[in-house]
Amino acid sequence: MAKTAGARSSDRVFFRSRVAMAVGFGGLLSIMALAGVDALNVLNQFRRKDNQIRHRYLTQNHVLNDIKSDVYISGTYVRDYLLEPDIQRADAYRASLAEVRQHMQASLEAYRREVAPQEARHYSALRAELMDYWGILAPVFQWNPTERRSSGYAFLRDQVFPRRQSMLELAGRIDALNEQQLDAGNRQVVALLLGFQTRLLLTLLAALALGLGLALFSMRKILNLEEQARLQYVDVAQARSQLKELSARLVQAQETERRSLSRELHDEVGQALSAVLIELRNLSARLALRSEEQSRRHIETIKGLVENTVRVVRNMALLLRPSMLDDLGLIPALKWQARECSKSTSMDVTVAAELDSDELPDHYKTCIYRVVQEALHNCARHSHATTVRIRVRQQPDRLILTIQDDGQGFDVQETKGMGLLGIEERVTRLGGKYKIHSQPKRGTILSLELPFARESPLPDENGSAAAHETNSHPVG
Amino acid sequence: MKQIRILLADDHTVMRRGLRLLLESHPEFGVVAEASDGRQAVEQAEATEPDVAVLDIAMPNLSGIEAAQRINTALPHTAIVILSMHSDEGYVLRALKAGAKGYLLKDSAEGDLIDAIQSVYEGRTFFSPEITKMLMEDYVREIRTRGAEDSYDLLTSREREVLQLLVELKSNKEIAQALNLSLYTIETHRRNLHEKLNLHSLPELILYAVRKGVTS
Repeated sequence: MAKTAGARSSDRVFFRSRVAMAVGFGGLLSIMALAGVDALNVLNQFRRKDNQIRHRYLTQNHVLNDIKSDVYISGTYVRDYLLEPDIQRADAYRASLAEVRQHMQASLEAYRREVAPQEARHYSALRAELMDYWGILAPVFQWNPTERRSSGYAFLRDQVFPRRQSMLELAGRIDALNEQQLDAGNRQVVALLLGFQTRLLLTLLAALALGLGLALFSMRKILNLEEQARLQYVDVAQARSQLKELSARLVQAQETERRSLSRELHDEVGQALSAVLIELRNLSARLALRSEEQSRRHIETIKGLVENTVRVVRNMALLLRPSMLDDLGLIPALKWQARECSKSTSMDVTVAAELDSDELPDHYKTCIYRVVQEALHNCARHSHATTVRIRVRQQPDRLILTIQDDGQGFDVQETKGMGLLGIEERVTRLGGKYKIHSQPKRGTILSLELPFARESPLPDENGSAAAHETNSHPVG
Repeated sequence: MKQIRILLADDHTVMRRGLRLLLESHPEFGVVAEASDGRQAVEQAEATEPDVAVLDIAMPNLSGIEAAQRINTALPHTAIVILSMHSDEGYVLRALKAGAKGYLLKDSAEGDLIDAIQSVYEGRTFFSPEITKMLMEDYVREIRTRGAEDSYDLLTSREREVLQLLVELKSNKEIAQALNLSLYTIETHRRNLHEKLNLHSLPELILYAVRKGVTS
C-alpha cells in the first residue's frame, strides 16, 4: 500500500517538474522567436524608411538641379536671343526658351507633389519668382531686332541676371532644407535603431534570466535524480553483497551441520558399535569359559551401549526432521519443542494455537516449525528471557505466527545473525512477511504472516535440505 | 487355563521375532497372528479377533495409530498396546485417542510387554515406567516454572476417587457401585472433573492422571 502511494506521489512530482520544464523551455524558445521576428521587422522598417528618405531626397535634388539648370539655360537663351541680329536664328532661340519654360513648369509641378510642409513657403516663393521671371521676359519676345540691339544688353543686366541670381539662391535654400530633411530622416532611422537596440537588450536579458532559472532548475533536478540513482545503486549493491554473504553463510552452515553429523555418527554411533563388537567377542570368550557371572556383566554392558546408541541415533533423526511434524501435525510438534526447550533451558515456553485444522501444507508446517526452532534457539542463547509465548493463528487467507519473549531485546538494525537471515529466507520463499519489534531491555516480538497461495502452486522445497525434511515416513 | 490371544504387528522382522520369542516363553500367552504393516494388522485382527493387539506406531501403508483406530472401532473388545520409540506426550495422547490402552516404549518393551498385555487384558491402562516418570516430571516442572496453581488441588477427595476409577477405565456404573453412590452423582462428579481440569475427553483425563501420578 505504502509503496503504491509513494509511486503515486513521485509520479506527481515528476509531472510537476515536467510541466515546469515545458513552461521554462517553451518560454525561453518563444522569447527567442519573438526577438528574432521583432528584429526582422525592425530591420525591414529601417530599410523601408531609409529607402523612402533617400528616394525623396534624390528626387527633390534632381528636380531642383533641373530647375537650376533650366534657369541657367534660359538666361543663356535670353542673352543669345537678345544679341542675335539674324531673325531666323532669334526665332530658334525663342522656341528653345519656350521649351525650357515648359520643362521648368513640369519640374515645378513634379516638385510640388513631393514638397514637405516646412518647404512650402520657399517653394511658393520660388514659384512666384519663376512666374515673375517669365512674366518679365514675355514683352521681350515682341521686340524687333533694332529694339533688341538697342536695349537688349541693359535689359539683361538690369532685369534678367538679378532675378536669375535670386532664383538660384531660393533653389539653394530649398536644397539646404532638403538636406536638413535628409538629416532628420537619418536621425529618425537612428532613433528607430536605438529603440530596437534597447528592446533587443531587454529581450536578451529576459532570455538570459529565464535560461539561467531553467538551467538552475534542471541542474537541481538532475542532481536529485543522480542522487536517487546513486542511493538505488548502493541499495542494490548492498542487497547483492548481503545475498552473497547469506549464501556463503548458508553453505558454511550446511558444512558445519554435515561435519557435526559426521562427527556424531563416527564418534557416537561408530564407537558404540565398535564397543558392542568388542563386548560381544569378550562375551563369546566368556561363554566358552562358561563363566556365567562375567557373561552377564558383558551382556549388561552391551545393553547399555546399544541403548545409548539408539538414543543418539534417535536424537540425530529428530534433529534432522522431527517425525512428530508428520505424525502429529504442527501444533503437537510445536508443543513438544516448547516442552523440550523448557526442559533444557530455564525459560517457560507456551504454545497457543487457533487453527481450523492441522491440515496445513507441508511447506508451511516446516517453515513455522523451523522459524520457532530458530527463534527459541536465539532466545535461549541471547535473550535471557524467562518466558516465551508462541501463538499460531489461522485466518482464511493467511497463517500468523508471533513469538514474544520478555528478554533483554536487541537492536534490530544492527544485529542480523544467521538465524534471522534463515528465517527471512524461509518466509520470503513462501511469499510471507516478517517483522521484529525489539528494543534493548524491552523484550522481542517476532511476527510473521504466511499467505495461503490460492491459484499459484507453492514453491517446491528442493535441494538436499528438503529431501530429509519432507520424508514423511517416521523413523521406526 | 484360557490363553490370552495376541496379534503382533511390526514392520521390523527382528523386532517381531524377538517379541514373539518373549511371549512364547509364557504359556498363558499365545500369538495368533503377525502383521508387517498397518493394513495387514487390521485384516488379521478382523480375521482372528485377538484379545490384545500389539501395534508398532510407525508402520508402512497404515500407521499404528490409524490401525488402532480401525481395530478399536471394529473390535471394541480387543485391547490395544502401542509400541513406540517416542516418549512425548503428544504421541501418548494420540494413541489414547485412537483407543489404545497401553503405551510401551520400544527401548524397554521386552521388560514391560508381559505386564502391559496383562494390564490391558484386565481392562486397565498401562504406560512404560519411563513415560510415567517423564510425564510426572514435566508436570511438576510446569507447575513450578509457571508458579500456577495445581489444578489437582481444586478437586475434592470424592472427585479424585472418581478420576482414579475413570482412568482405570471403569464405566460410570462400575464407579457408582464401587463408591456406593448413585449414577447421577457420578455423572455430576465427572462433569465437574472435566470443567475444573479443563480436559474434555477421557484420553486427556488419563494423560492428566498419569502426569499427576494418580495411576501409579
